[in-house]
Amino acid sequence: MTDDELLTLFTATLRDVLGDDSVALSMVTRRQDVPNWDSFAYINFIAAIEMRLKIRFAVADVESFENVGAIVRRSQALLADKSS
Amino acid sequence: MLFNSYEFIFVFFPATLLGFFLLGRRSRVLALRWLIAASLFFYTWWRPINVLLIAPSILVNFALARAIQKASAREAPRLARSLLIVGIAFNVAFLGYFKYVNFLVGAVDDVFGTNYVIAKVILPLGISFITFQKIAFLVDVSSRRVESFTLQDYCLFVLFFPQLIAGPIVHYREVMPQFQRANCSFDQNNVAIGLTLFAFGLCKKAFLADGISPLVGTIFGQAAAGEAVSLFSAWLAVVGFTLQLYFDFSGYTDMAIGIARCFGIRLPANFNSPLRSSSIIEFWLRWHITLTRFLTAYIYNPLTLWLTRRRLAKGLKGIGGNNTTLGGFLAVLAFPTLVTMSISGLWHGAGYTFIVWGLLHGAYLTINHWWHWVARGFRKNSAAYQRVMRPAGFVLTFAAVAVGMAYFRAPNMATAGNLLRGLFGLHGVSLPTSIIHKLGHVGLWLHQAGVSEGPADDTFRIMARWVAGLSLLAFFSPNTMQLLSRFEPALGFDTGAPDRAGSRPLLSWQASAAWAVLVGGATVLGVLHLGGVSEFLYWQF
Repeated sequence: MTDDELLTLFTATLRDVLGDDSVALSMVTRRQDVPNWDSFAYINFIAAIEMRLKIRFAVADVESFENVGAIVRRSQALLADKSS
Repeated sequence: MLFNSYEFIFVFFPATLLGFFLLGRRSRVLALRWLIAASLFFYTWWRPINVLLIAPSILVNFALARAIQKASAREAPRLARSLLIVGIAFNVAFLGYFKYVNFLVGAVDDVFGTNYVIAKVILPLGISFITFQKIAFLVDVSSRRVESFTLQDYCLFVLFFPQLIAGPIVHYREVMPQFQRANCSFDQNNVAIGLTLFAFGLCKKAFLADGISPLVGTIFGQAAAGEAVSLFSAWLAVVGFTLQLYFDFSGYTDMAIGIARCFGIRLPANFNSPLRSSSIIEFWLRWHITLTRFLTAYIYNPLTLWLTRRRLAKGLKGIGGNNTTLGGFLAVLAFPTLVTMSISGLWHGAGYTFIVWGLLHGAYLTINHWWHWVARGFRKNSAAYQRVMRPAGFVLTFAAVAVGMAYFRAPNMATAGNLLRGLFGLHGVSLPTSIIHKLGHVGLWLHQAGVSEGPADDTFRIMARWVAGLSLLAFFSPNTMQLLSRFEPALGFDTGAPDRAGSRPLLSWQASAAWAVLVGGATVLGVLHLGGVSEFLYWQF
């Protein structure tokens, strides 16, 4: 998957999690940039991505993601590991 | 050895600092080894046998961390994970034996009516803090947040005496790079800032907290003896203890941060005027910050993530925004919050009262989150909402924290229950005769409204003055971190808007004659009160 495809998937996932169709994510979006994206919705979002991509993040990763771009990059690495 | 003792202030601290600087001239390694040796001496001062407990535990943890690191490097994640579980189990069992075996045997006796008696296990000092730090290190090694370490590094990380007994709970990755960079030589800025923090901390602990402590003890003693404590006295007791604990613990932390700073090391901030919080969520972000950080990262987040994954795998919804359901809220938020805070309660002390205190805070936090959920449609950022909710939230938060303190301070459930009845007015409302008389017509009106005349009790009057004075300081005065915010007194301390805007805070420490007088005054007040009775609130931690 390309970064853009992941971003599209992430945006759809977060819209679903928050029930808010106005959400739009970019590589530099941070949690505080999106209304109502609190720590619980964040955990829910991460678990939902894991389900959709069939990957598993480490807890340490989950805490350290600075922005959406970091989640995209880690997802790419995990997807690459899975296919190798 | 305690920071607020003559032997520490006049012998150990100056001697250790001097040795560190002198050895640092010759070699950094020697200076750091000196620091490890001094820390071991500090720890064993009270009970030399403590070294026989802490040394094997350090060696076992070091060996496990090395094994986890090697397993991770060999791409053997299952082995690394198994070793991590063994390491966590070892540390929890170590803590469990020393801290909880007496409590568990007592609980078995309570439930089954048995009468098992075991030799009283004596708690090694600071074991709860040390254990959490060791567990965090193992987790960090397994997740590769710690890449390289030696036995000397590890000993320094665990034993560094400023944070050894009562925190702040530090991460390896935040202090070790500082030790590796330290030039171990005298730096007048670091020493001036460190000693200022120490002086304010000492004054808070020895003068303020120890000053109100016997008065708080008197009312809690009355409740423990089964006396009916009336409304105002009960509130004075719990509010007094809340203030005592704040000045005690934050003062001790200021001393720890100050001592470390003299050695050129910045420790993380632990308190940021928590009693001014306008919600319980905010309170826990400002009270014992490094504990909240540990509980969130190592217990709450993994548990929530695990529960959310299970829920989604079953096709149920998690929580977030408008899609939150009551089931999701209870399963993914309320449950892990209650579990985490009960563990926090047990960590603070082995006893039913601490479990209840933890559960109470778990319930407070859950209600706070629930309010966020139901109030999400309100315009929370509007000025009108903030104008009403901030003061209301402040009063509610402070009252909730103070009520919880009835359990935190009471020696047993019966005492806490007795005090709680007093807090809700079930033991009547009374005021000392002298106060009712002083109030004139209001006093007469109060008397007619059912307020009875209590004994002419000096404790009440003196206590009320202490509570008023300490409240003013806790609510309105800048805290120690803010006073020194221009000098980054602690890691992760947000210096706040005034600095970012380029202007200076209202009160800011600087190397001037006026501040020297103030800091000198704080030191004198602290030192003069060293000889009194000092309650060491961290025994049970």
